[in-house]
Amino acid sequence: MIRIEGLTIFLKTFQLNDFHIQIEEGEFHFLLGPTGSGKTLILESVIGLHRPKKGKIWVAEREVQHLPPEQREISYVPQDLALFPHLTVRENILYGIRAKNHPLATYSEYVDSLIQVMRIGPLLERYPVKLSGGEKKRVALLRALAPKPKLLLLDEPLTGLDPSIKFEIQQLLKTLHASFRPTVLCVSHDFEEAYLLGNKITVFIHGKVEQVGTRDDVFLRPRSKPVALFLGLKNIFRGKAICQEKESNRWRVSVNNLQFSIPHHASLGEITEGKEFDLYLRPEEVMIIRDGKPIKDSLKWNIFDGKIEDIVDRGKHHTVFFHPQNEEIPFEISIPNYAYRNLDLFVGKGVKVALRDEAFWVME
Amino acid sequence: MGFRYTMIGAALCIFIFYFGLLASLFFSVSPKGFWEALVHPSTLFSIRLSLIAASLATFLAIVIGLPSAYALSRYEFTGKQIIDTFLEIPMIMSPIALGASFLVFFNTPLGEAIQTRGIFFVFEFPGIILAQFATIAGLATRLMKASLDEISPRYEAVARSLGSSSWQAFYRITFPLSFRGLLASVILSWAKAVGEFGATVTLAGAMPGKTETMPIAIFTALASARIEKTIVLILILITLGLIALYGVRLTGRMIRYD
Repeated sequence: MIRIEGLTIFLKTFQLNDFHIQIEEGEFHFLLGPTGSGKTLILESVIGLHRPKKGKIWVAEREVQHLPPEQREISYVPQDLALFPHLTVRENILYGIRAKNHPLATYSEYVDSLIQVMRIGPLLERYPVKLSGGEKKRVALLRALAPKPKLLLLDEPLTGLDPSIKFEIQQLLKTLHASFRPTVLCVSHDFEEAYLLGNKITVFIHGKVEQVGTRDDVFLRPRSKPVALFLGLKNIFRGKAICQEKESNRWRVSVNNLQFSIPHHASLGEITEGKEFDLYLRPEEVMIIRDGKPIKDSLKWNIFDGKIEDIVDRGKHHTVFFHPQNEEIPFEISIPNYAYRNLDLFVGKGVKVALRDEAFWVME
Repeated sequence: MGFRYTMIGAALCIFIFYFGLLASLFFSVSPKGFWEALVHPSTLFSIRLSLIAASLATFLAIVIGLPSAYALSRYEFTGKQIIDTFLEIPMIMSPIALGASFLVFFNTPLGEAIQTRGIFFVFEFPGIILAQFATIAGLATRLMKASLDEISPRYEAVARSLGSSSWQAFYRITFPLSFRGLLASVILSWAKAVGEFGATVTLAGAMPGKTETMPIAIFTALASARIEKTIVLILILITLGLIALYGVRLTGRMIRYD
């Protein structure tokens, strides 16, 4: 297990206060945040390149914040990889084992299996300059894993790659993780990267941990508006709880003059009368009702008339900008292509929409 | 095309200017006189003295310059800017002023103590080394810093995370990667030390058979109108310089990793 407690960094241009994170053994943990949020400094502090003002770092049961990098057993794959250009692929891979004066024989089986999984066998005698982008990435990963570190640090592993290589490396990282279960802390600003690879995500925005959770926790149930905005989510409105509905036990919530009826499970915390919060309407959980079609009971709570303001073709789905009647809070609806084709939608058309219960999410 | 020819013409003029200057050296020398001057013990002494002194001065410049260059290239610390500026002192200061400063220094109580209890510098062999060292240490540090700057510190970061100490990371990674640049810096510094005149003559004097390096020997030979010896020494200096420049070129042909 890796644990960071109370990490505090003061620089002229940057401040980090009391940062905590915990990474379980074998976890693929993402530290996800916008560029310039101080992720790199955290990473450098963990490696030991930067001495933080305060804070403790545990690797397994060992406190390492006072140790030099070479004694921490943390491997590091920087974004530019930094393969040693004057060493062959083989020498690069064995660098860590040799640097630690460990007997090669005890690692050979493990290293061989890594070489096989990463398909590096034919490249062993080459110099890094002769490798393609994807090959370099594979070698850098192998070099980092070879000495069996307690923690593998990855800095934006998929950023800046061509789409085809990106997919290859992403699959490789999955395979690697599944086969060897290294404990990984991956720093990234790309939530797609985190979604594809992470089994735990810490969202870190403006020097503050906003949310820690599984992939679904973060992407489906963002805890706060900054998280939602960082993830690029739309349809976030300021809402206010008006009252609890007597028979249904649902909450009546107003956004401007529009009123929604939202189920209890749409919120992690308690909703109380008069409480204000950020309300997220999931665009893919809003339906456009076809003319003359009966409306299911489960959809009856939130039905609105309005008209279509705009339609954007996103390739895999369409985004419809819906403007409720007499209201100034237009919201986005995401419609899969097959459904879109049956609906005969156009800009200016008057439509009726229904919000499923799953459409609502209350944030702190 | 007029523009192109004008530019190339200017380049040719520079070449003719220097080439003419060198060619003129052969005008006033006979093969016999040349040979006699070359094998004359005083000439051979100057050559030997110059090579030894310049090599020692360069060695000292590396010993102190390489770690300094590393510090200036890799770390942030108080006074870094001031140190960086002081490296240029020997470049902006006239060599004779540098030598004179040493003479003044060895007249201070500290300087006198060093001379009486340690090594004699004034008008002695160590004075040559000191003068040459003073002239090239700043330059050597600057040049070596530039070659270290070219190597991303990330290599060392990775090497350290893989288990190397900072020393190991330096000699296994940064040193081999910057070797080409470091070697070129050393060669250039050495060539500058060989040709050093002003500071050396001021601090170590121009004593034949003792402190007479090649540039100083040129000066004394010329002063006593021994033209053939002058020319021989000039040609040797030029040859050494050309070898050094060729050496620097060769480093450029060494394996490039990027």
